[in-house]
Amino acid sequence: MAIECLVLGAGQEVGKSCVVVTINGKRIMFDCGMHMGYTDHRRYPEFSLISDSGDFTSALSCVIITHFHLDHIGALPYFTQVCGYNGPIYMTYPTKALAPLMLEDYRKVMVDRRGEEEQFSCEHIAECMKKVTAVDLKQTVHVDKDLQIRAYYAGHVLGAAMFYAKVGDAALVYTGDYNMVPDRHLGAAQIDRLQLDLVITESTYATTYRDSKYVREREFLKAVHKCVASGGKVLIPTFALGRAQELCMLLDDYWERTNLKVPIYFSAGLTIQANLYYKILISWTSQKVKDTHARHNAFDFKNVISFDRSLINAPGPCVLFATPGMISGGFSLEVFKQWAPYEENLVTLPGYCLAGTIGHKLMSAKIPTQIKLDEDVKIDVRCQIHQLSFSPHTDAKGIMDLIKFLSPKHVILVHGEKPKMGALREKIQSELAIECCYPANNETVLIPSTHHIEAGASDAFLQSCLVPQFQIFENQCWVYDDRVAQGILTLQNPRVFSQNELRDVLGVENHQVKFAHCCSAAYDSDWSPSISQKNSLLQLLFGIVSRDFPDCIMLDSQKSIQVGSFVVSLCSREECPSSNEDALHFCCTWSATDEELAWTVISLVKNVKLSRDFT
Amino acid sequence: MCISVGPKYSVLFYNFRPKYKIKELGPKFKIAKVTSSPHQRPPLLMEQRLVAAVGRNPNLSPKSSVAVLSLITNPCTSDSTLTTIVETLNLHLQNPNSNHQQILSLLSALSDYHPRLRHRVGAAVHAFILLPSTPTSALPHALSFLNPADSTALDLFSDESLFLSLCFYECVKTRKWMLRNVSKFRMRPSVLLTVLLGFTKDPYPYIREAALDGLVMILNDGVVVEDRSLVGGCYFRAAELLFDADNSVRRSAVRAVSEWGHLHVALNPDESKRDWSDALFLQLCLMVRDMDMEVRVAAFNALGKIPTVSENILLQTLSKKALPSTKEKVYPGRYTAKLSKIPATAAAFAFLHGLEDEFFQVRRSACRALQTPTVLSAEFSCGTVDILMDMLNDDLVMVRLQALETLHHMATYGHLNVAESHLHMFFSVLIDNDALIRSAMRKTLQYTKLQKLAMFRSCIENLIKNLELYPEDEADIFYALYRIGCLHRKFVVKIIQEVSQELEPSFDGKLGFNKVRTAGLFVLAISAPVSLERKTSSIPPQIFSYAVTLLGRISCGLVEVVDENTLLTYLSQCSRFTFTSTSENFEGGLLDFGLKYNHNHLHEKSNEVSSLFPVTMGPKKFTTPLESQVKAMSCVEIIFQKVVDLWPLIQLGCMNEVTRTLRSWKEGISSFTRDTHQTAGVVVFALKYIHIIKLLGNAWAYSFTKTNLQLKGMGALENLLGKMERRLSEMLYRYVGMSRNEELHILELMLVTYAMRLSHGDTSCFEEYTKKLNSVIRSVECLHKEGPVEGSHFVTELLNVSHEIGDSEDKAVDMPDLLLNSLKLFSLKRIVLSGELKYLDAELDACGNDFQKPLPFVPGLPVGIPFEITLRNMSSEIKLWLAISVGHPE
Repeated sequence: MAIECLVLGAGQEVGKSCVVVTINGKRIMFDCGMHMGYTDHRRYPEFSLISDSGDFTSALSCVIITHFHLDHIGALPYFTQVCGYNGPIYMTYPTKALAPLMLEDYRKVMVDRRGEEEQFSCEHIAECMKKVTAVDLKQTVHVDKDLQIRAYYAGHVLGAAMFYAKVGDAALVYTGDYNMVPDRHLGAAQIDRLQLDLVITESTYATTYRDSKYVREREFLKAVHKCVASGGKVLIPTFALGRAQELCMLLDDYWERTNLKVPIYFSAGLTIQANLYYKILISWTSQKVKDTHARHNAFDFKNVISFDRSLINAPGPCVLFATPGMISGGFSLEVFKQWAPYEENLVTLPGYCLAGTIGHKLMSAKIPTQIKLDEDVKIDVRCQIHQLSFSPHTDAKGIMDLIKFLSPKHVILVHGEKPKMGALREKIQSELAIECCYPANNETVLIPSTHHIEAGASDAFLQSCLVPQFQIFENQCWVYDDRVAQGILTLQNPRVFSQNELRDVLGVENHQVKFAHCCSAAYDSDWSPSISQKNSLLQLLFGIVSRDFPDCIMLDSQKSIQVGSFVVSLCSREECPSSNEDALHFCCTWSATDEELAWTVISLVKNVKLSRDFT
Repeated sequence: MCISVGPKYSVLFYNFRPKYKIKELGPKFKIAKVTSSPHQRPPLLMEQRLVAAVGRNPNLSPKSSVAVLSLITNPCTSDSTLTTIVETLNLHLQNPNSNHQQILSLLSALSDYHPRLRHRVGAAVHAFILLPSTPTSALPHALSFLNPADSTALDLFSDESLFLSLCFYECVKTRKWMLRNVSKFRMRPSVLLTVLLGFTKDPYPYIREAALDGLVMILNDGVVVEDRSLVGGCYFRAAELLFDADNSVRRSAVRAVSEWGHLHVALNPDESKRDWSDALFLQLCLMVRDMDMEVRVAAFNALGKIPTVSENILLQTLSKKALPSTKEKVYPGRYTAKLSKIPATAAAFAFLHGLEDEFFQVRRSACRALQTPTVLSAEFSCGTVDILMDMLNDDLVMVRLQALETLHHMATYGHLNVAESHLHMFFSVLIDNDALIRSAMRKTLQYTKLQKLAMFRSCIENLIKNLELYPEDEADIFYALYRIGCLHRKFVVKIIQEVSQELEPSFDGKLGFNKVRTAGLFVLAISAPVSLERKTSSIPPQIFSYAVTLLGRISCGLVEVVDENTLLTYLSQCSRFTFTSTSENFEGGLLDFGLKYNHNHLHEKSNEVSSLFPVTMGPKKFTTPLESQVKAMSCVEIIFQKVVDLWPLIQLGCMNEVTRTLRSWKEGISSFTRDTHQTAGVVVFALKYIHIIKLLGNAWAYSFTKTNLQLKGMGALENLLGKMERRLSEMLYRYVGMSRNEELHILELMLVTYAMRLSHGDTSCFEEYTKKLNSVIRSVECLHKEGPVEGSHFVTELLNVSHEIGDSEDKAVDMPDLLLNSLKLFSLKRIVLSGELKYLDAELDACGNDFQKPLPFVPGLPVGIPFEITLRNMSSEIKLWLAISVGHPE
């Protein structure tokens, strides 16, 4: 049996995450994202590859969404309401709460601002969310009789989860996006050590090694402090959820410690709404926030005030959080236009900016510069630029650490850039000796998995399982406990028996395999020894053999010699075809276990040159 | 009056005999007695009936089982009933058909409630275990009864076949019990190890965990394993289990790897020790990325215990990328479940991961684990300073404190290189809200070597700022200033020269030294170098004399290096390096004398210690109770030493100075009285001794120099001597554990007292005191006979005198002069405490008798007075007399 893995999105790219996995007959879709870089059909995963008939409900067992980012959930309303998928959908509670906000925000931007054709309506989102089943962390959900899924904490954003899916003995983990280092508001990913056939992991930073988070924080605070101390204004364009809260906590804490009085503003809208959710969903945040929230909810920012448009040109220093993160439009662009021309001001940029956005242009620009907004508008940029290196994604070390901890049989990389994924694949294969691949979009990968058979067990077998029976091999101190492994599986009417029962079960007799060999020892051709002389030659042989094998004994009134299971005796049959005149023949028998010993003794016998002088 | 029982209960207690007849002694007393006996004695008939129910059936019904339990738990059940129960249960136990678990639980309750029956229960269980019919399942429970230290049970705990049969019994619970208690069994180590090693492969995680814990346990129990291959086998087996699916197994595996790894390293030949130590380090480094918090904590705890690690591996822990020096290296060990070679790059970022952790337990443990490696490598140590500085920003005090302790540790080993950028962080910690953090920070600063004058200056400024913000830290800050000054003497000279104007008295002649800043600078000045031999000082010497004005405060801060007197001597001596002197306030001769001794004393020391005060090197831990005990002892010792120095002053009659000094010492010692009981005896002894010296001084001054103006008039001396006599005899009799020397010292003082009284010509009780003198002399002689003692001229002379005079007729005439002559030979010697002194003490309190509500009594009838008597250090042999006398208030 194999696990079939069809990558519909995020194969060798970042965007529209969607992987369909068939595992022991069950089909699961992990994530259903949309690509933000396209506006045509390419923005959605190629759903038609799942089912030709378009009957997705019967083709899929369930859909699992890891977190609320649009590249992981954006296509879900389209898939359920337009394509008609009607089966179960699973996501964590916070994701279920925050996803409609994100989808609605996106829909508005698309339709109201860009004037595009509506892909899905407001009602579609509401209807889609009704089909969602929310799950808790580490809660095992039985989707049906055979399929179990379980969510594990992934860090990344509020409510992000890795999902474990198991059908029979085949199991896999789909990580979604995750972070292996805790930040201020979220914890690090946390998962059990599981028996896995496959791990499908993101690889956004497949070759990046990030410095300690303390260094990053220090640099950011230093830049902000320097700017406000010299009377400048700081613009921090961020995404509404996640980085905004993280940086806000950092600044709030720093303000508290250093007693700074400069105002910190939050542009109204989504961010403030999101803060509300963070305050409620405390159990999904970092350990520190959880520990202290009884005294003080960390999302009750002491120094943060909401912003008013009239304050843009107010004198004096301030810090402003504004959306969207890449200065692609909206309020952050509006403020940027006003503040960029002054050198005392500071603009921070997120770690990743899409090509074409102002953020992307600033990343590569040398200050001072001019940025073309459109044909008529140009902005003089003289302000300072600070590039943030905060990221909710794990770096290469984190990916390696997770894979090493889980030690699956196979790894599939998604959600990354092709050359970097190649480098990471090499590293995984050479360093951890785990098979790894990174399929492109719409490619299918087959991965061998554990074959699952249900079998009964006999009482004797169960009994033998209870009692310890370990062996220790002295030289290496290797320990074996064969308690469970030492059974016999009959494939027809599958059942496991203990070794002792085998004969009764099969109704056969016990046979022992023995090896036989005709071995000759040469003697002088002019001499034909009598029977008694032959016997005394056997005596002689015994003397030779017992020199090397002290546990050797004479049997059957001096007619044969035994070492272990190896028995050698004089060949008595005259008609023996191999007999010839000038050699003494021995019949040798031994059982399979003593093969090595047998050949050593035989070579000893063969090398003996017998002559009458001996008798 | 009997307790009245309501009619409702009268049936139940129909033949109830009240245990106490309570007299009308007050309501409180009555209640106390009643509540002290919640269990009532069951009627005898009932007991018998209950016991009878048990006897018949070997399978106890729940009802009879409960009946037995009630009999066992009731403290008033008669002994005979209990014995019957033991016997009956024993009989049932031997019956193969009975419910053994149930009977064993009852027996267990029996031996818990009635320790005197423990032996009998033990014997019954012992016999039960040896029965061939005993089911294996009942054995662990039965074994848990027996005490392995008990000689009768020894045979069971050293019975290998019993041990093995239980270990290999199919019940998992039994196996777990056996493994958890493995250390109780006296098996051959080879058998133990084989069994434990075998069970590390058990399918049940709890058994694997217990087996690993057992492996650690037997090492801690001192089982010696010297077979290298066997130790290696255990180590690698434990290392395999680092990849177990179960969290608790991995936790135990980390501990086992650590313990067996150390042994494994130790057993390897010297040339491969280093590699194996590195391999162990790397093996444990893998576990710092475990998903279980406790595994990570255990891993860091274990990492902190590894004494040697190669520097290149340590440097790798600071970087995520592979360093060229470690890139290709591999070490033996488990990298994953499949791979058995660990690349050196496995150490990458190990400590930093821990410091970034979400759980404070891990961060704290990682901070602590850094201590050992920072000592090993200066370069590594340099690399960790930055990140430790970040840890000083942590939200939790515990983590900050641990980070500071690690920094302190680095500083004491001279591996803390502080850059200017770090100072800002350091100084922000100095104004932390938490006193512990501030104190730890100052401790770290004391050992920090600063490279530039500017850094030193800002450090001093910040310490003084700290002083201004937190005046309660004064003593500690003074000490820090002094120590950091000693470490940077050149800088101190420069700084003091800069601020010397500030330290001068203002124009109006007043000393404006009440500013804390000035006080801090004076402390710093004290650490400036001077040369005693050439009598030169590197800073304006008058500063020393100014510092004298703050002597009390300063000496309080420097109490760890110097006592007040020595400091005073030092300061005045240093200030005498110029012509001006503040000694005008004193009588010239007196100071001369005082200095003569201390001058020599200081000279002796100036050669060896550049700072003049003995500087204790090495890390100072936070004060523990033991330490304060030691502190009290050493303080008392110092005072006893100093008392001797006072004797010349007493001879000169300078009782004002002497009294003042003694008073300050007394205050000093009194601060210890609330401490532990161990020192209490010594402290009380010292207080009393000081008091006696005061009395002696006054008496001496009165009778020899006649200068003491406070004591005038007749009978003053007699009064003083009487007090002395009483105090001395109290000292003699109220301490347990006094050595011969101490006793002799007290006796000598007693002789002085009597001699003074007699020499003074007090004729009224001449006979009485001659007798007393003679009896003390006899005791002294007795003690002298026990062994050689340091001679005292006075005592020798006195002995001669007493022999000479004997019973001569005119002794009343000769004696005063003879005694006076011998008294002139007396000089106070140092009393040396040889050990712990226990102070016999009794406190008596008449309860319930207060001013507003006195004890009731009827004239003419006896009255009962309850007393609460607290005895301290009284052994049972000591007889205690309570004398009550009736006084008349008018």
